[in-house]
Amino acid sequence: MSKALLLFFLLTASFSLGAQTFSVSGNVTDAENNMPLPQVNIVVKGTTKGVVTDFDGNYIIESVSTGDVLVFSYIGFSTREVVLGTQQTVNISLEPNYENLNEIVVVGYGSQVKKEVTGAVSSIGAKTIEDLKPLNAAQALQGTTSGINVTPQGGAPGAEANIRIRGIATNRNNAPLIILDGFQYEGGLNSINPEDIENITVLKDAQAAIYGTIAANGVVLVTTKSGRKNQKPKIQYDAYTGIQETTRKLPVLNATEYAVLLNESYANAGQALPFPDISNLGKGTNWQDEVFRQAPVTNHNLSITGGEEKIHYSLGASHLDQEGIIGGDKADFRRSTARISLNADISEKLSVSTKLFYSRVKRHNINSFSLGSVLFNAANIAPVIDPSTANLDNTISLGNEVVNPLTQIDNTFNEYVTNRLSGTIQATLKYIRNMELQARFGFNTSNSRNREFAPIYNYGAGKIYTRTDNMVTLNKINDNDYTFDLFNTYSNVLADHHKVTFMLGMTAYKQYGEGLGGTRTGVQANSWKFADFNTATGSGDNQTNNSYAYDLRRLSYFTRLQYAFKNKYLFSAMIRRDASTLFAPEHRVAYFPSASAGWVVSEEDFFNDTGAVNFLKLRASYGVLGNDRIPTFGYLSLLNGEATYVLGNDQSLVNGYALGRLANPGIKWEEAKKFDVGLDLQLFDNKIEIIADYYRNVRENLLISNIPVSGILGTGAPGAEGPIVNAGTVENQGLEFAVNYNQTFDNGFNISAGYNIATLHNKATRVNNGTGYYEGGAFSVGQPMPARMEVGKPLGYFYGYRTDGIFQTQDEVETHPSQKALGAEARPGDIRYVDVNGDGVIDAKDRTDLGNPIPKVTMGLNLSLQYKGFDFSAYSFANLGNDIVRNYERDQPNVNKMNYRLNRWTGPGTGNSVPRVTTEPTTNHVFSDFFVEDGSFARIQSITLGYTIPDSFIKKSGLEKFRIYTKVDNVHTFTRYSGYDPTASSGDPIGSGIDYGFYPVPRTYIIGVNLQF
Amino acid sequence: MKKTYIYSLLLTTAFTTFTFTACSDDFVEVDPRYEISSGNYFNSEDDYYNALLGTYDILQSTYVNVILGEIASDNTHAGGESATDVIGWQQVDRMEHTPINDNLDDIWDWNFAGVQRASFIIENQDKTDFEGKEQLLAETRFLRAYFNFELVKWFGAIPMKPEGQFVLGDEAIVPRSPVSEVYAYIESDLEYAVERLAVDAPETGRVSKGAAQALLGKVYLYQDKFDEAAPMLNLVISSGKYHLYGTRQGEDYKDLFEYEAENSGESVFEIQYTGVQGAGFECLQCSEGNVMVGFSGIRNYSGPVFESGYGFNLPTEEAYNSFESGDLRRDVTVLDIEAWVSETGASYGIGNTDPVTGHTGYYNRKYLPRINDNEGDANLTQPNNYRAIRYADVLLMAAEALVRGGIDEVLARDYLNQVRERAGLGEVSASGNVLLEAIYRDRRSELMGEGHRFFDLVRTGRAQGTITGFTAPKNNIFPVPLEEIQFSQNTWEQNPDY
Repeated sequence: MSKALLLFFLLTASFSLGAQTFSVSGNVTDAENNMPLPQVNIVVKGTTKGVVTDFDGNYIIESVSTGDVLVFSYIGFSTREVVLGTQQTVNISLEPNYENLNEIVVVGYGSQVKKEVTGAVSSIGAKTIEDLKPLNAAQALQGTTSGINVTPQGGAPGAEANIRIRGIATNRNNAPLIILDGFQYEGGLNSINPEDIENITVLKDAQAAIYGTIAANGVVLVTTKSGRKNQKPKIQYDAYTGIQETTRKLPVLNATEYAVLLNESYANAGQALPFPDISNLGKGTNWQDEVFRQAPVTNHNLSITGGEEKIHYSLGASHLDQEGIIGGDKADFRRSTARISLNADISEKLSVSTKLFYSRVKRHNINSFSLGSVLFNAANIAPVIDPSTANLDNTISLGNEVVNPLTQIDNTFNEYVTNRLSGTIQATLKYIRNMELQARFGFNTSNSRNREFAPIYNYGAGKIYTRTDNMVTLNKINDNDYTFDLFNTYSNVLADHHKVTFMLGMTAYKQYGEGLGGTRTGVQANSWKFADFNTATGSGDNQTNNSYAYDLRRLSYFTRLQYAFKNKYLFSAMIRRDASTLFAPEHRVAYFPSASAGWVVSEEDFFNDTGAVNFLKLRASYGVLGNDRIPTFGYLSLLNGEATYVLGNDQSLVNGYALGRLANPGIKWEEAKKFDVGLDLQLFDNKIEIIADYYRNVRENLLISNIPVSGILGTGAPGAEGPIVNAGTVENQGLEFAVNYNQTFDNGFNISAGYNIATLHNKATRVNNGTGYYEGGAFSVGQPMPARMEVGKPLGYFYGYRTDGIFQTQDEVETHPSQKALGAEARPGDIRYVDVNGDGVIDAKDRTDLGNPIPKVTMGLNLSLQYKGFDFSAYSFANLGNDIVRNYERDQPNVNKMNYRLNRWTGPGTGNSVPRVTTEPTTNHVFSDFFVEDGSFARIQSITLGYTIPDSFIKKSGLEKFRIYTKVDNVHTFTRYSGYDPTASSGDPIGSGIDYGFYPVPRTYIIGVNLQF
Repeated sequence: MKKTYIYSLLLTTAFTTFTFTACSDDFVEVDPRYEISSGNYFNSEDDYYNALLGTYDILQSTYVNVILGEIASDNTHAGGESATDVIGWQQVDRMEHTPINDNLDDIWDWNFAGVQRASFIIENQDKTDFEGKEQLLAETRFLRAYFNFELVKWFGAIPMKPEGQFVLGDEAIVPRSPVSEVYAYIESDLEYAVERLAVDAPETGRVSKGAAQALLGKVYLYQDKFDEAAPMLNLVISSGKYHLYGTRQGEDYKDLFEYEAENSGESVFEIQYTGVQGAGFECLQCSEGNVMVGFSGIRNYSGPVFESGYGFNLPTEEAYNSFESGDLRRDVTVLDIEAWVSETGASYGIGNTDPVTGHTGYYNRKYLPRINDNEGDANLTQPNNYRAIRYADVLLMAAEALVRGGIDEVLARDYLNQVRERAGLGEVSASGNVLLEAIYRDRRSELMGEGHRFFDLVRTGRAQGTITGFTAPKNNIFPVPLEEIQFSQNTWEQNPDY
């Protein structure tokens, strides 16, 4: 084949010898930074004659004549044509092309040119990640992509982030599938060095059906950096260091205010004043100041890339060291990563590539985001207590959970280490023209070891953290998985106009691993230093050990056809067949089809090329995707419940067997039916890009695990739980709109700006367990669950009592339905609850919808400017219309209060929003809208200012680039929410938006350098 | 060219073959690793024994029947941190409970869990034969009867399925059987147990023949079947296996509820607890400790003898004063905290101050946490065993049956006076209604704090007028949890007036 071509070239060449020919050489550079451009295609127009530039950007092309036209083209740059005169040197520079339509978009088991993509896709490139420099790559998606909501699980170092694509569709695991360089990656984005990432692409619609039963929550495709052919070795070193601080401290009362309020509450109940003399109390201890501190963060990143003709490579290493703004090194995160990427052309037909990633994460944790957490205690402990008081016995009684948060930090000892090796090896064989066979093996293996130590400590009588013996807990966990892909792609252009790509393939996936753990008491010297089984001498039943193992598999076949007619009419269809270990044999196999189509209107003849519109594409997609993220073996009855009793004269524990989760042999995968219509538009010389979508996703056969069922089935037994049932339907629909603007002016000033907005309407349309609802979350202590999934309501909406101001007089109390059923008779100054069902009493039946944690609108606004050596970028985002439950105020008479309590009711006409203070029994603490706040916010995520030192200053030093920058992360949040951070969320679909004292995401001031050699 | 073509064809064929045959769906057929599934169980004596342990395990969760039974009665206030702390208990204390009550739901769920675990064994009783199987099955039947008896006491009519476990969907098909049928079912399980159980339990903590006889006698008494109750209870008394603690050498009545008197000669049936394993709030029924004890503890207590707790289940002043003067039982049963504080210098905290449900100054001393080295959360892992059926209870039940059945007042007085004598009180010589009243009064004094009072008042028709807010017949039983009615798709009707 190629021999024939060569012969043809030679013949053509010899025929043209007759004309007057000469050779032209020159150099091609990037107009923006004057760097040489390798691999630029240069062809003589109208012929097949062509060359490419070498890695210094040089080229030489033989046998051309005057009047020939040289066409210079390179992906990402505007194509230029040069008519040859008689000159023999043509040096040109290419302008970067922001139209992006020729960008390659990965779509799973292949890629597509952006202008031909028919699905809803969002992507961010290295530039965005470079600007944002997130600690966790997931954060780079927040505000920069429409319809994708990223919420951190807290500001604690190393906290993962929850990514939600187009709303919340299931009551369990809403996390999207992460595909790292082609293979399923279960390590969390936190274990990947963000600076290794070239591109993150998110498949938001039915196009993700190529991933079948795992794709219903959307797919995040992460592509890491690799080298390029014919590229001079490039060494890059980036480093930054910064200081983190809290963005907010809760406005709690100082000691005098506290004592005044407490005295009033005791007096109101006719009790003796706890602080008869308040004159010497002063401000007391500000526990907020005590627990928060400034904490450092540093990061180093080194990478080397380069390439020869047949081989190219990229190496990288990084180290991140972050301390916590609470607890310092008791709550830190260290991540070291190393990677290598190597591509080699073995022959013209066969190429191989491999990527390997290693990461080591070591962290320490403090108790956060729960009742009894450090911040919860800092908000509730009395300001009259001195910070050095470790045992609260002789201080005012604060209930059993509230302890000194500083002592709590001091007594926290743990260490979590995860070593992970992941990688992929891939071979591509172009065995015949238009046919390409790819085999790929990707793997993850991780080893975790956790060590926790709880010392003997007396926080005070009855305190839940008081321990009379110490305990060391060790866990060793090994998790592995591999993905084997084999797929064959045929692509061709038939009869000039019919571009066809057909792919057929299979994937085998296996996840397996085991864990071993145990506990021992009697640790030597009650010290973390000796916290090991080896030095623990305890005896008795608290010397425990446990182990587990698992093996889960999935086998998939899939095929996809992509067809384009004259680049105008685009069509794509795919189907995937999955078989999964998670389901009973008769329900094991599922099929997931999808189809999409596009119409490039701007390619039509009737379309006026010279107008403002450069490109217009309409597209639509529909398909069925699956979700199988459920606990394993739900179809089997297993004897893994708890069966422990006490028998014998020595009263020792004996263990038997009992049934665990109630089996449901009929469970099958969840089905997500996704519909999307959208348009892609480019205007004004491609300076403006607009992407708009409407989507409607219906998640059917929702797998609800531990679904409440009748107690007669025994699900109340220890270790038992409700079955996994396909029992719900949830709808998400919304509009997404994104506009991007990019322009470079003649003087070199470049501006790019992006704005996106997405709406979301979420509701459950079926909960099929007899009750029509499913509960979750927690509020205060001993109260019913406050969040629900219920037909007709958004997932996880808040369910409690509606308030109607404060009773001003006894008269008002008496004319209102009795509130006694809530726990106490009302008095003037108490909250008045609404008799929602109008039955004349206030009781549990009056609970109603108090709001929901899902934002109705999310948006992002980003700006970046470049002029001469200066660069500036600012990123921001906003969530509107979500509610948050304030749940960090302990319902106990003597704990400290937020300062809004100063506005309490003190007599008729003194206020209609904050109830009286009293130690009398009241029902003011039951879950009501008094505790629900508007959680809307807008946040300036990051502002960066950088300066690149001109070449002339650094050339001699051998540097190619030297940039310094300063950056502020989490600059400011505009919100009316009174808690630490309106992003507070547990991430649980039912029970999210309940704030137990959220570890706030810190504000960080950073300076950094980028060096390139 | 040709070679390439053939090569390609071969590859394509190999690819297709490999993909669609070599790697078949067998790949995903994996059994769970190191797990036992129910289809592969009940193959040996050990399997039956281990499943029986799972049934015994549920007894520990009946702590809630005891504490809430006590709160429901006129003996105690709900207490707790505030008037809304464990709101379901507060509502029961005020007799204002509705079908929406998580804590009543616990009683339904946990006791049915016990029924279900017993039925798991019973439905597989014929799978494997071995020597001693009847003993294991008899224990299983006893336990099922125990849980069903609790359920019928609390909720009246309940769904039943004697042949085996309820399966998903049964809740919408199996109706609630009338109380009389439930009792017949309980009686048949207990008759089976009485006939086959060994006189002496195989291990401390397991069921003996006497326990089954005592429970059956109690079940008869609850149905006013005095003619059957009296002889059955007499069998327990005449067996010679039991005695009142403190009446033998080396025993002191004051220690009856201390650790040293656990599984004593007075225990006919005792539920076993230990503090050696930790527990958490997310699964109270999983604790191996007696959760009731920590919940009954004195708030923020610091001092001798006792450990701190949550301050629920507080005896009322009226209950404290209901003891005859000189009754040794008063100070064993109720702790007067102020007296204790001035005696020992201990300190404590007060939670709920509501006049109806709050602080009284008294604590349920029988089941207060004692100083011990139980695991955390120490409030949930107190090791105090619950004396479910005491010999004193058997004597008083027998006395009551003998009087109410008009069978033998002499014997009844003898039984009553045995109990009174141990309490340091003089003999009763009355007869007829006066005798019965004396039995009732001693029953309250003897069993206060042990969860029997509410049901004794109900079954004898004395609840209305004694328990504030109690309305008969509505409050004779508790409402079926609303969710349960919904799960049953209205196959089950709510109890009257709820």
